[in-house]
Amino acid sequence: MTATTDIEAMIGRIALGDRQAFSSLYSATSAKLFGICLRVLDNRAEAEDALQEVFVKVWHTASRYQVNGLSPMTWLITITRNHAIDRLRQRRAASGEMDELAELADLSPGPEALAVAASERGRIAGCLGQLEPDRADAVRRAYVEGETYAELAHRYGVPLNTIRTWLRRSLLKLKECLS
Amino acid sequence: MIEESDKDDDTALSAEYALGLLNPVEARAFETRLAVDPELRAQYALWVEDFASMTDGIAPVEPPKSVFDKVSVTLFPEEKQSWLQKLGLIPALLGGLVAALILVVATNQGLLNGPGVSSPAYTAEIVAEDQSLLVLATYDPVDAVLRIERTAGAARDGRTLQLWLIAGDNAPVSLGVLADGEVSTVPIPDTLLAALEGGLLAISDEPLGGSPTGQPTGEVLAVGQVVTL
Repeated sequence: MTATTDIEAMIGRIALGDRQAFSSLYSATSAKLFGICLRVLDNRAEAEDALQEVFVKVWHTASRYQVNGLSPMTWLITITRNHAIDRLRQRRAASGEMDELAELADLSPGPEALAVAASERGRIAGCLGQLEPDRADAVRRAYVEGETYAELAHRYGVPLNTIRTWLRRSLLKLKECLS
Repeated sequence: MIEESDKDDDTALSAEYALGLLNPVEARAFETRLAVDPELRAQYALWVEDFASMTDGIAPVEPPKSVFDKVSVTLFPEEKQSWLQKLGLIPALLGGLVAALILVVATNQGLLNGPGVSSPAYTAEIVAEDQSLLVLATYDPVDAVLRIERTAGAARDGRTLQLWLIAGDNAPVSLGVLADGEVSTVPIPDTLLAALEGGLLAISDEPLGGSPTGQPTGEVLAVGQVVTL
């Protein structure tokens, strides 16, 4: 694993148009980011396209990295996650909102059956573990699956306002645990 | 029930924004505040760090090489140059020089293959433009090796000949340094077999021990196309 400071230095050089640094950053981080694309999109061809677009974005936005105050891996992971989620949402929209919701409705038996494979470790894992399982699950679904409030409301069979109140409260609890 | 304070509201709002849960109008309003409110930015950054750690357990997967190639072509189209161009091999493969690169069909392939062996056999004659180097390469599917026979020419003094496989636009893959003797064998791993078919074999002039960079550094002395028999 390449050290954080190295990755930071690479991003700094990329901001100045250094192609060699870009190539090094790709070598050091593409496997991790591709893993995330695959996890979110669950489709190899789409994950490859997403990864390609992510690195194009990284090249163009490297100069803005300094101001956002994120650690370099978090910055890269967030660009990747957000991009993959955008694609996933477009796919859902294209495949027909109604079909998708019907599918979600089919999937709505007890919360145990709905558990998302947890992939987190460390601090956040411990804190998610302190939430009720279905609430932790909703947070994971929002982050890893990119599910919207409408989708979550449908999945858990509650009104939109309720799910929002529910999730916000879970997030506050999570924050309390994290800080 | 606890009423959410303004502070709590911002905490939850930052998380919702980080998760992409806000509707477009809310998201834009949040971004406007984010631009001018360092405290809010710090709060958002903390959430992003925490959420990103939800990916810690996602295993890395090596993406195919084509992804980086596509990124490069998108960002640096002027660099779109195949290895054949980089190595200056295009002229050798076009026009009048082609005669020097014509492929030979090995004579004893049937024997090598034997009955019932369905693996393809490949062969390439690697020729220098001025015929000063003549090498015949034959793939032996039974032993999964390339048999290299050098019938003319040798490495320059204090230098060595290195054999490369070039498939499509991919970077040359070293198949190793040619032994001093006239005949040598080079093992071909299964992973390279697909690249061998329709690929090019090239020989470059390299320092003793082979190219220090993993790519051809010296003059390309000879090149030939692999054909399936």
